[in-house]
Amino acid sequence: MPPTAHAAAPAAAPPAALPQGSPVPNRPITLFINGHDHVVMVEDRTTLLDALRERLHLTGTKKGCDQGQCGACTVHLDGQRVLACLTLARQAEGSAIATIEGLAGADGTLHAVQAAFLAEDAFQCGFCTPGQIMSAVACIREGHAGSEAEIREYMSGNLCRCGAYPHIVAAVQRAAAALPSEASS
Amino acid sequence: MSPLDISPQRGDAGDGIGGRPPRIDGLAKIRGEAAYAMDQPVEGLAHAVLVTATIAAGWVRGIDRTAAEAAPGVLLVLTPGNTPPLHAASTWTGEAPPTSEYRPLEPEIRHVGQQIALVVAESLEQATEAATLLRVDYEAAPFLADFTVPDAGEGQDLPPLTIERGDADTALASADIRISAEYGTPREYNVPIEPHGLTARWDGDALTLWEPSQWLDGMARNYAEWFGIGFEQVRLISPYIGGGFGSKALALPHGAIAAQAARMLGRPVKLVLTRPQTFTAFGGRAATRQLLELGADADGHLLAIRHRGWQETSRNGLWVEPLNAATALMYEVPHLSSRQRVVPVNTVTPSAKRAPGENPSAFALECAMDELAYALGQDPLALRLRNEPGRDPHSGKLWSSRRMREAYAAGADSFGWARRNPTPGAMRDGPLRLGWGMAAGTYPVRRSAGEAMVRILADGGVEVASSTSDMGTGAYTILAQTAASVFGLPLARVRVTLGDSTLPRAPVSGGSQMAGLMTGAVDKAARAAREELIGLALNDPRSPLRGVANTLAVAEGRLIAPRGEAPPLPIAELLTAIGRDRVEALRDTLAENGLKPEDRYRAFTTVSTMRAPTDGEYSMHSWCAHFVELAVDEALGSVRLRRIVTAFDAGLLYNPRLAESQIKGGIVMGIGQALLEGGIVDRRHARVLNNNLADYLLPTHADIPPIEVISVGEPDPHASALGGKGVGELGIVGLAAAIANAVFHATGKRVRDLPITLADLC
Ligand code: FES
Ligand code: FES
Repeated sequence: MPPTAHAAAPAAAPPAALPQGSPVPNRPITLFINGHDHVVMVEDRTTLLDALRERLHLTGTKKGCDQGQCGACTVHLDGQRVLACLTLARQAEGSAIATIEGLAGADGTLHAVQAAFLAEDAFQCGFCTPGQIMSAVACIREGHAGSEAEIREYMSGNLCRCGAYPHIVAAVQRAAAALPSEASS
Repeated sequence: MSPLDISPQRGDAGDGIGGRPPRIDGLAKIRGEAAYAMDQPVEGLAHAVLVTATIAAGWVRGIDRTAAEAAPGVLLVLTPGNTPPLHAASTWTGEAPPTSEYRPLEPEIRHVGQQIALVVAESLEQATEAATLLRVDYEAAPFLADFTVPDAGEGQDLPPLTIERGDADTALASADIRISAEYGTPREYNVPIEPHGLTARWDGDALTLWEPSQWLDGMARNYAEWFGIGFEQVRLISPYIGGGFGSKALALPHGAIAAQAARMLGRPVKLVLTRPQTFTAFGGRAATRQLLELGADADGHLLAIRHRGWQETSRNGLWVEPLNAATALMYEVPHLSSRQRVVPVNTVTPSAKRAPGENPSAFALECAMDELAYALGQDPLALRLRNEPGRDPHSGKLWSSRRMREAYAAGADSFGWARRNPTPGAMRDGPLRLGWGMAAGTYPVRRSAGEAMVRILADGGVEVASSTSDMGTGAYTILAQTAASVFGLPLARVRVTLGDSTLPRAPVSGGSQMAGLMTGAVDKAARAAREELIGLALNDPRSPLRGVANTLAVAEGRLIAPRGEAPPLPIAELLTAIGRDRVEALRDTLAENGLKPEDRYRAFTTVSTMRAPTDGEYSMHSWCAHFVELAVDEALGSVRLRRIVTAFDAGLLYNPRLAESQIKGGIVMGIGQALLEGGIVDRRHARVLNNNLADYLLPTHADIPPIEVISVGEPDPHASALGGKGVGELGIVGLAAAIANAVFHATGKRVRDLPITLADLC
């Protein structure tokens, strides 16, 4: 599934402000996020997560550890789930990037996974939730939502300190049932 | 099944109190639109990175800033040598500070990870790089790595925690059956997935802070005192919090230095702790040790408990984790002796983690009760029932409600406890040994005053506003339900604004008190607004309902005459007719808590007016009983949980859907405590080695079995205005003991030090 457009996203954002006095080259790159091109100034060392959050103000993707250990920063790169804190922004050039902000339909219709998270109360503080949802969408698409045990195994890269795990598993099952074609593809 | 199909369940009360509507803040959270503190767009932001000490004790002799200051994009480098002091702030308990100055960057080092410098740059990448360029010259001093090193000694006595009831020594000596055992819990960390951090911006002498907060008014007071400005000049904004579990209630040193940098620079500064820094910038649960001796007669009646506790604290701060909180309360025991000592070591000052006191207390007591049951040859549940107290054995007061028997019965029944073969190792599933264990838990009802504004709008909708916060507790939703109940409105017509220190006041969202006190405050304000509305409808010359009846009811957004004297009038029409755009009421519950208007500031910005669970006629607590099944693979020493049933009495549940989630969340954290979590101290350097999420193991999806939670509570009119008792901390209390007891049942091995790992069972 290609990333869907987000109603509020501009077609192409102007380059974000250049940090002053930087000799580490800040170069404009184009990131294709949620169906739109965004031109953004980044250093070679800028992570995709910091490019999204600090430069493009797409703050739905969360930073829980910045070390690849919590899953809060999970986004999709060409349909695959990746950790945005372990991906350099430049590595994502030329790929289709999908974030939580682009998951609902252009008309605001919730993705089945989002709706299931609401129905099952699959979160408390909500901070891990964008990452859990992006992982869950991929988990179902990968065909790893066949049983509770399988969901637990394939969702274990996403930590939830509020302990919403049983409800997240229920939400993934509910969404998988509503998305039969994806689950079997 | 449609993904959005939310089926009603038993006990459903629609959108009002006691109903099960989904979270009203849920939509923003699942869309990625909920703006947490670190998500707030602030113009002209500079980024800060904290630099921390690598020694455990000694002094910073100097820091060479040259290279860092010359690095690209660097705006400011603060060290102990170039940072002016702030004013010392009074404590969260309301005590005056011992000194007049506070230095957020001190040359004297008392623990590894203490903040010693701050680097501010145009970008996060630049600040991160420049922070590595500081050259720190230390003078190291001897240190105490933790409370197990011999030099740490026995620490200091904590006389306020001493209990001497009867004569425990004599009673123990004459008891038919005695057990004696020592239990330990390691340093545990709160680890909310949202790291601590803030953005601070000054506009003249006014300070705006975007910072996750469990206590907006308390933290705002602290910042105001640090910077010598008025409380009203600080605005703290925290509409969403990515978890706290006790760790986000106080202003912390990193907040002081970030706000100070913002003032010195004249620019907003954003500082987010790195994940490793979250293990040393503030404390988690103190490491504890407890020696318990239990004596009983041959029938299993408890005669005496002798309890000795030790806990860590820091060299420069005192945190008390009351280790007899459950010991003195759970069972009928005529003779009890309890003492506690606190041992200062070179660590950050420990702090509140979910159920401070009750949690380690119940771990030791509930394991010891299991040991006693085996010593007596009795069923652990039967032993507990035999010693169920009719009143609080400590205060002597009657329970406001204690549905412990009901919890035991409901939990045991659903779990199938009667089918348990008590012999350790007797229950098997192929090569696996099964363990069935149980334990009880408790958490007190704490009470403070609250304040809320309820506003009826011209369109007939209602607004609720308070500075209290929602860290996943469900505050937004249950406060909307409270107002919905009073006005008979659907939830969609109620808007709740929280998490801004300029709103009506609220005390700390901690000690599981928020829901009880804030539903009370909102209920009171909503009723006052409703009364005023009805008064206007009956008396305003322009009201279509003027004089039609003595009183009116309000339901479904309409004013209704009791005997149909006039057709129901939509609230919106009344407001239009009388030329008002709103009717509002601001109410507090100071008087209900024995306080006066002049206590308002102190009541909301300190905990000095928080009431004990025994303040008043009754002793008030929530209760729970956990039942656990696990499987142990003896070849590997691995423990896998299979299922958990927890029955609990937390009084009325304002929203059972959300309360069940919170209880399950406590259980999940208890699983981590039992099997995974513990700070590993490298005693050579006094460092916590596992200061990250790969090495400090949190429970993952794969660790969690099916969990069933059963509410056996009934409304407790003494505990809160609407009849609820505390939920947030209850679920974790006793859970680790239930797991440890199940491990014994599976293997015959008593593991008394948490976490229980492969090494204990191989
Ligand atoms: S922030 Fe990327 S995995 Fe934690
Ligand atoms: S909902 Fe709070 S961390 Fe998952």
